[in-house]
Amino acid sequence: MNDELSDYMDGDRELEELSPEARAEAEAWRRLTGELKADEPKQAPPWMENAVMSEIALAEAPRVNVFDWLLRPRELRLSPLASLAMAAAVVALFVMVPNRVPVTPPPGPVAVTQILVEFSLEAPGATTVAVAGDFSGWETNFVLEDADGDGIWTGRVPITPGLHKYMFVIDGTDWVTDPGAQRYADDGFGNRNAVLAVAPPRTL
Amino acid sequence: MSTEELSDGEVVREILGGQREMYRVLVRRYQDVLYRHAYRMVGQPDDAADIVQKTLVSGFQKLNRCRDPERVGGWLFRIAANLCKDFLKSPRRADLSIEGASATVIDRSRPDVDLEREELRERVQQALERLSPEQREAFVLKHLEGRSYGEMATLLGASKSALKMRVLRAREELQTLLKVYQ
Repeated sequence: MNDELSDYMDGDRELEELSPEARAEAEAWRRLTGELKADEPKQAPPWMENAVMSEIALAEAPRVNVFDWLLRPRELRLSPLASLAMAAAVVALFVMVPNRVPVTPPPGPVAVTQILVEFSLEAPGATTVAVAGDFSGWETNFVLEDADGDGIWTGRVPITPGLHKYMFVIDGTDWVTDPGAQRYADDGFGNRNAVLAVAPPRTL
Repeated sequence: MSTEELSDGEVVREILGGQREMYRVLVRRYQDVLYRHAYRMVGQPDDAADIVQKTLVSGFQKLNRCRDPERVGGWLFRIAANLCKDFLKSPRRADLSIEGASATVIDRSRPDVDLEREELRERVQQALERLSPEQREAFVLKHLEGRSYGEMATLLGASKSALKMRVLRAREELQTLLKVYQ
């Protein structure tokens, strides 16, 4: 790649300053990067926010690392008088602070929030449809209903916030992946589980 | 004051103070820019989404290690950039890209102009996949994201001259792979 084209690509030279050959090459590069940019998505998928918030609801909370904070280098400017006052305060701290024994709060019941999630599957001709997932221990306890006989089976299931895998079970034997799931994950046996992100109740 | 008006540093302090839900503010602010970068790096929407999700979850878990909370966006970007490079270096990815290349189907029913553009994009994507992860990252940041060498140096922790050389090598490699001037 010649120098004038390199300078242009790095923003150090204008297109008008290039020789005709270099300008043609520059145009080719511009077309190439333009095509790449035209093809790309502009936004993260809509499920991202809730998926992240569901996952961090179960994660250990980050805590301020006191030692890290104390050891972090920082610039401190003090007048001689202020330095003396600070030294006196540090000495006073060591002299006056009584020994404290950390107290662990007694263990108590932890409230587990559950969110009602509605499942639906179009399965005309099915006799029974259930949903099974990690939230049910993969048992088919949660049975969907098709009250009006239109072939669309629905049912509500209480689920704790977080990421959950599930499948539909038709007529007790056919395990079917949800065609309208937010996401999918391999189950390790050649099939795909649907993945559901359940966000905690919003308090923001 | 609404949460949108809070600075990044204020949001981080709230989260570290126990307001976990405030992390939603950072997710909203940075998910799109992280996703665009991840997509440009790995070329597949699902893989890019996985990387961004991992980035944001990992960012929450390690938030206490963010040295400059006012620049938490750049810190998250570095996590994403590293995950993208790890992904491109993983052996599983190498196997997948071979399968993917042979499975590409172009819709022949579309007009020739679209077909040409589709083929060009496909060729460029395949050429980008053959760059080293570091070269690809440098090319993406410079020519697809339009960043200055100064910004790139801050984001990646490399010198401007080293990055300039990396971008040059990436362009030369692409030029050879694409033979765009023939």
